[in-house]
Amino acid sequence: MRLHVDGWDPGYGASFDSNGDGPGSQSSAETVTDVELPESDWRPIPRRDDLVSPSTVLLVDGVRRIDAGVWVTGEDGVPHRGLAASYAAGVVRCDLERGVADVAGALVKRGLFTSSPTASDVMVGSVRYTPHQLGRDDQATLIGGVQAQLAALEAAVSGETRTAGDLLVVDGPLKNRQHLPRAIGYVKTHRVEYLPAAPTAVVTALKAQERSPVFRIGTNWQRYAWYLRLPTTSSAPWAGIVRIECAAELSTVDAVALADLSVVTLPRFASTAYKDPRAPQNLVPIAGLERRLRSMLGDARLLYRTLVHAAHTVVGAP
Amino acid sequence: MVERTEQGDVVGRVLGTADATPLTFWVAVAPGAYLQLDDVVVTNREMPDGSTVTIAGVVTAVRARHEGAQFDSDVFAIADGTLPAQVQEAAEITTTRVQPEVYVPPAPGAIVHRAEGDARASALYFDNMQRKVPMGFGRDGAPVFLNADFLDGSRGAHVSISGISGVATKTSFATFLLYSVFRCGALGGAGESANSRALIFNVKGEDLLFLDHPNARLDESTIDAYNKLGLTAGPFPDVRVYAPPRPGDSSGTPDVSSRHTGVDSFYWTLAEFCELRLLPFVFADADDERQQYTMVVHAVTAHLARVAVPADSGISIDGTRIGGYAELVDYLVNQLNDDATRGIWTGSAVGLGTVNAFARRLIGSKKDLARLIRGDLAVRRPHSINTAESAQVTVVDLHNLPDRAQRFVVGVTLKSEFERKEKAGTAKPLLFVVLDELNKYAPREGSSPIKEVLLDIAERGRSLGVVLIGAQQTASEVERRIVSNSAIRVVGRLDPAEASRPEYGFLPPAQRQRALLAKPGTMFVAQPEIPVPLCVEFPFPSWATRPSEAGPPPNATLRSIVQASDPFAVVGASTKSLEDDDIPF
Repeated sequence: MRLHVDGWDPGYGASFDSNGDGPGSQSSAETVTDVELPESDWRPIPRRDDLVSPSTVLLVDGVRRIDAGVWVTGEDGVPHRGLAASYAAGVVRCDLERGVADVAGALVKRGLFTSSPTASDVMVGSVRYTPHQLGRDDQATLIGGVQAQLAALEAAVSGETRTAGDLLVVDGPLKNRQHLPRAIGYVKTHRVEYLPAAPTAVVTALKAQERSPVFRIGTNWQRYAWYLRLPTTSSAPWAGIVRIECAAELSTVDAVALADLSVVTLPRFASTAYKDPRAPQNLVPIAGLERRLRSMLGDARLLYRTLVHAAHTVVGAP
Repeated sequence: MVERTEQGDVVGRVLGTADATPLTFWVAVAPGAYLQLDDVVVTNREMPDGSTVTIAGVVTAVRARHEGAQFDSDVFAIADGTLPAQVQEAAEITTTRVQPEVYVPPAPGAIVHRAEGDARASALYFDNMQRKVPMGFGRDGAPVFLNADFLDGSRGAHVSISGISGVATKTSFATFLLYSVFRCGALGGAGESANSRALIFNVKGEDLLFLDHPNARLDESTIDAYNKLGLTAGPFPDVRVYAPPRPGDSSGTPDVSSRHTGVDSFYWTLAEFCELRLLPFVFADADDERQQYTMVVHAVTAHLARVAVPADSGISIDGTRIGGYAELVDYLVNQLNDDATRGIWTGSAVGLGTVNAFARRLIGSKKDLARLIRGDLAVRRPHSINTAESAQVTVVDLHNLPDRAQRFVVGVTLKSEFERKEKAGTAKPLLFVVLDELNKYAPREGSSPIKEVLLDIAERGRSLGVVLIGAQQTASEVERRIVSNSAIRVVGRLDPAEASRPEYGFLPPAQRQRALLAKPGTMFVAQPEIPVPLCVEFPFPSWATRPSEAGPPPNATLRSIVQASDPFAVVGASTKSLEDDDIPF
C-alpha cells in the first residue's frame, strides 16, 4: 500500500451543517400528534414548578476532524480516495448538587476511511490510523463513514458512568441508543418539519421554558418527541427551539414525565449568544466538552505534517 | 498520585506550553500535589552522552487557572457544575543551581521533585558552606543558612537590612542574626565566638535594653524552633548596657526608665573631648556639611587639643578653669568674639561672618551635648564605651538623646572603635556594629564626619574585622558605596514606591511584589552565592524585646551594682563547647 497526502484540505468541502433556524422541508414521516393531548387541544405546556431537575445530568457529544485527504494505492496500482480523520466522543457529568462538571469518559479514535480493499494501519509516530473500508470513494460516502464511526463511538461512551436517578442527554437523535434508561436525544437543528400546520403554530408560539405536547414520529425508527424553547433574547419563530426525543418503547406516561423533566433541566444549560454563535441551543456543557474533545484530537497541523512525512516513509505499518 | 523517589516527592512535570530555559522554567503541578512560593524543587535532564544534569530551583511564582474556560464568566458555569473544566496549577521555577554546569533547559515532561534533605541543601548551596549561620526557616519549614564566609570578612562582610518601620522587624532580625552568629559556632572555636564583640545602638524606645533578660513569652514551639536551628533559646548571655547621664543630674546616673539594674552611664570628659579632637562630631548635622565653617571647626579643634590641660575633672585653658561643656562653649565664643584672641583660634584668613556662624552653631549645641561632655564627674569613674573591655554585646542607648547628640555619640563611638581595631592590626576577634537609621548617618548626598567613618568601615572594615549590620527604611537614601559593599542584603516589608528602586534589583519581580506584603518576621535574604534571595522566617526572639516581656534579670546585672565582671566566670563559658581546659582565645 502506498499513501499520498492531498495538498488540498477536504474539510473545506465537508461542511453540510445547515445553519438556518427553521425546518426546510416537510417530512414524509408518519406523525401521531394526539399522544399527550388531542391535536385540537394543542397548547404550550409550561414548566412544572413541583419538579426538580435530577442532581446528575450526563451529556454526550462527539467531534470529528478530517486530518488530511489521502490517496491510497494498493498493489494493483489503482488509487483510491480516502480520508484520514480523528474523532472523539465523551460524556460530561454535571453534578448539580456539588457544582462540579467533569468529563466522565472520553474516547479518541483515528481512522483511514477509504474504498481501497488493501488499506492497512498507518502509524505516524505514536498515532495509529485504523482503516475502515467503504463501498465508494466519493466525498459524501467517506464523510458518512466518519460520521457512522463517530456515532458508534458516542453510543459506546453513552452507556458508561450511569448512576441511579440521572438523566442522559445525547447530542443529536437518539437513534441506536433507545435502550439506554432515562435517555433523551437533543436535536438542535430542524431540517424537516414533522408537524402539520396547526400544531406547528403552537410550537412557534412557545415561550421560553415551555414545551409542546408530546407526539410520536415514525420514520425508519419510532420515537416520542416534543419541542422546547430555551431562554433566548431573539423573537424569531424558531429561535431557541430544540426537539427532544425519547424511546418509543416507553409508556406515554413515562414519555410525558421525561418531557416535563427536560423542561426543568435543560434551560439552565443554555448558553448565551456572545459566548457561542450557536446559542442557546448549543448547551454550555456540550460546548465545553467539544472544546476538550477537540484538544484531545491533537494539533491538526502537527498531524497533517506527520501524515505527509509518513506518506514519504511508511508503506503500510507493522 | 504523589509518588516518592530518593530525591523527594514528585510534584509535577516541566511544562511544554511555556518556554523552558536553563534559568527559569514552568512546572505543571500534579493532581494531589502542590507547590508554594519558595519551595525548592529539583529535576534531571539526561544528556546524549548518558550523563545527568541536575537542575534545582526555587518557586518564584505559582498560578492556577481553569483549562477549558474561554470567558471570564465561564467560571460561574463551571462552579455551577454545567461547564466541564480542569483546574491546573503551574509554578515558575527560577534556577539556583545546575550540576554539572551544563546550561541546558529541562526537557518538557521531565518529572519534578520537591527537594528535601541533601537535594535541598545542594540546591541552596548549603553543601558548599563550610561554616553555616542559621538564619531561620524557609517556607518549607526547613532551616535556611547564611554562609559565614560572607559575614566575617573572609570573602565578604556587612549586612544591609531594609524595610519600612514597624512591620519589617529590621532590628529583631539584626539581633537574631547576632545571636545566631555568636551561638552557632560558625565564627571558629568557642574562644573565637566568645571574644567576638557586638556594638548595638538602640535608637527607638528601650527595646534593646533587655537583651540579657529571658523572654517571659517564650513557649515550647519557639524553643523547638531554636533547637531545630541548632541554637539554644535564651537571652544574650553577656550584655552591657550604656545610657547617657540624666539631664541636669550632677551625679551622672543613667537616663533609663524601665531597666533599673546593670546600666552604666557613658559620657566624655572635657579633657577627652579636647585631646581626642571630638569637636567636629558636634557639627555632624546634615545642614552643617554645606556650611563654610568647617575650616573654623578644624582650626578650633586643633588649637583646643594644643592648649587644653586636664585640671581635676575639668580642663584649664590658659589658666582658666572650665568645668562643663556649657562653660567651654561660652569660653570659646568669648575668645572668638574678642579681636585680640580670634586670630589665635581660627587663623587669620577667616571672615567674621563665618566665625559667627560657627559660634551660633556652637551655642546651639550647648543644650544637647551638655550632659554628654562632662567636667564635673570623677575622672577615674569608668565612663567610656569600649567594646574590647566591655561584655560581648554592648548596647548604647540613644533613644533619649536629641538628634545632634545621637550623631555625636554614634560618630565618636564608631571612630574610636574603628581606630582601636586599626591599631590592633588583626581582624579577629570580630566586631559587629548594629546601626539603625543608616540613612540618617550616611545619607547618599553630602558628607559628614560620621559618614566618613561609616564609609571607612564599609570599605576597610572587612579586613579590619569590623562588620556593619546597617538597617534603614530606604536603601535608596543610603550612600551607595555602603550598600554596594554589603555582601548580605536583607529586605523586610517594603514601601511600594521604594521597592521599585534599582537598589532592590537583586529581588526578582515576584519577590519584589511579595516584599510589599511580607509579614513581620519574614525577610528576603540575598547572599552572594545563591542567585535567588531566600525567604526566611526567623523565630520569635528568645530574649525580651520590651519591658513587659522581660523575665527575671540575670545575676550579672545585679552584680554589676558592685562589680562589673565575675572574677570566677570562665572566659567563653557562655558559648557551648568551651571546656575548662581550653585556651579561651
